[in-house]
Amino acid sequence: MKKEEINFDKRDQFTLTMIPGSFARKMRTCLIWQFIRFVIINLKMIIVVGKSH
Amino acid sequence: MARLVVLGGGVAGHTTATFAAKWLGSGHEVVVVTPNAKWNWIPSNIWVGVGQMTKEEVTFDLAPVYAKAGINYKQAKAVSLNPNGNESGDKSFVTIEYTEVGKEGQSENVEYDYIVNATGPKLNFGATPGLGEGSQMGEHTVSVCTADHAVHASHELEKAIDKMKNGERQKFLIGTGHGMCTCQGAAFEYIFNIEHELNKAGVRDMADIKWISNESFLGDFGMGGLHMKVGGYVVSSKLFAESLFAERSIEWLIGAHTSKVEAGKVEYELLDGSKGEEEFDFAMLIPPFAGVGIKAYDKDGSDITDTIFAPNGFMKVDANYAAGAYENWKASDWPRTYQNPTYSNMFAAGIAFAPPHIISKPMSSPNGTPINPTPPRTGMPSGIIGKAVAHSVVALMTQGENAHLHEASMAEMGAACVASAGKGVFTGTAAAMTVYPVVPDFEKYPGTGRDTDYTFGEIGLAGHWIKHILHFLFIYKAKLKAGWTLIPE
Repeated sequence: MKKEEINFDKRDQFTLTMIPGSFARKMRTCLIWQFIRFVIINLKMIIVVGKSH
Repeated sequence: MARLVVLGGGVAGHTTATFAAKWLGSGHEVVVVTPNAKWNWIPSNIWVGVGQMTKEEVTFDLAPVYAKAGINYKQAKAVSLNPNGNESGDKSFVTIEYTEVGKEGQSENVEYDYIVNATGPKLNFGATPGLGEGSQMGEHTVSVCTADHAVHASHELEKAIDKMKNGERQKFLIGTGHGMCTCQGAAFEYIFNIEHELNKAGVRDMADIKWISNESFLGDFGMGGLHMKVGGYVVSSKLFAESLFAERSIEWLIGAHTSKVEAGKVEYELLDGSKGEEEFDFAMLIPPFAGVGIKAYDKDGSDITDTIFAPNGFMKVDANYAAGAYENWKASDWPRTYQNPTYSNMFAAGIAFAPPHIISKPMSSPNGTPINPTPPRTGMPSGIIGKAVAHSVVALMTQGENAHLHEASMAEMGAACVASAGKGVFTGTAAAMTVYPVVPDFEKYPGTGRDTDYTFGEIGLAGHWIKHILHFLFIYKAKLKAGWTLIPE
């Protein structure tokens, strides 16, 4: 059984949601991808801050 | 020379006082009254609570910072307001009681021309039997609301980890300690940081972790939930939050009013009216918030607290408190200037202002127990409101009583929220979320109530880096170091 499938079976309340697979989990700590996301998230946050003042 | 008195030295009060002092210069006086000797970057208390930071890393002494800014700092708590003076004179004043070492209990009347109430909340542990007494935390649970609480939580967590290493299974219960709590975000961060630390310690398989919350669905966050863009879809925060819990094998109990806390056990009531118990070895339950209990008196000594403050102790401002039923609620109910409707020289900022109503859909059990989150007003909204109020007060002091007041409605303001899910430069993650606006505006954004271009969320290392950078950036700003005004709230 794949890792992401294990928890679905543990609790009834887990079966109706989504659980990330190995690729999605890897990307969360992939330095290159996360650096790109860091820049994008910061830009978005700066826009939101700008719209709020 | 006019005098501005700011009550409170947290995010809102500190922002108001420091900007006002900078803009007013030496021509006017700014006084800060706060019972605390230290400023605390509260979002990082989460990391203190799991032993990843020390108290010293999230706090600093206020006195030297205020001395540098030319602010008259009084380490004291506000007890009462006399907006019309008393029998001896017409001048408005606030009565304070010192908490400073050596002056404890001493009283003083501080006259003011303008006053900003930014006291933050009273941590109302006493609202739930067994959770604590008044604003004092009890002995059965821990908290991360203050740096000292977080240090205590960290020590208790260490003990629990030691027990697990010795083969003793532990049950963790994290969430809200009352049906009317806000600040689910802090508990949300704490439960994921605990899970992360237990994994690091190699004892995750010895722990049962459970979430208990007054939210009617996971991901409500006191904002009625939100719809965010994830992977090209617009999805509910319910799915986003449930996914985070399921991935980490953390059970949840929602729509729960914690009605009683005992050693190792809580009693709760659910939205369907059923009651139950949950046992624990380690529990971090956020208390509900209330106003700090400042009284107000008229010139003749009669009590006018009800004129200035709402029943929950928060200060009335320019909000629509007569909005009525949920179906009638509008974004325009929310205050814009934070000026008290009775006294034009009185403002409130941050948690201290009384919201017109909650944001989430109001709910109660068949027994009549209200179980719904109250509105969040911490962090970025507190800072933005504090700065807008500083603008307004400075304008009034320098241009006269007809000066233009600045506005900062939470229905036109966004918020960036970075919820840590574990600390570590290469292994940490955090859910980085922005929401725009904080209070949904269904007239402007039919459907979700918010702009989905600027309401998004994702989890990853980037979020952790942002949270870490914000930690240093906001402490740098609060210390008024070079260029502090360039860092946005």
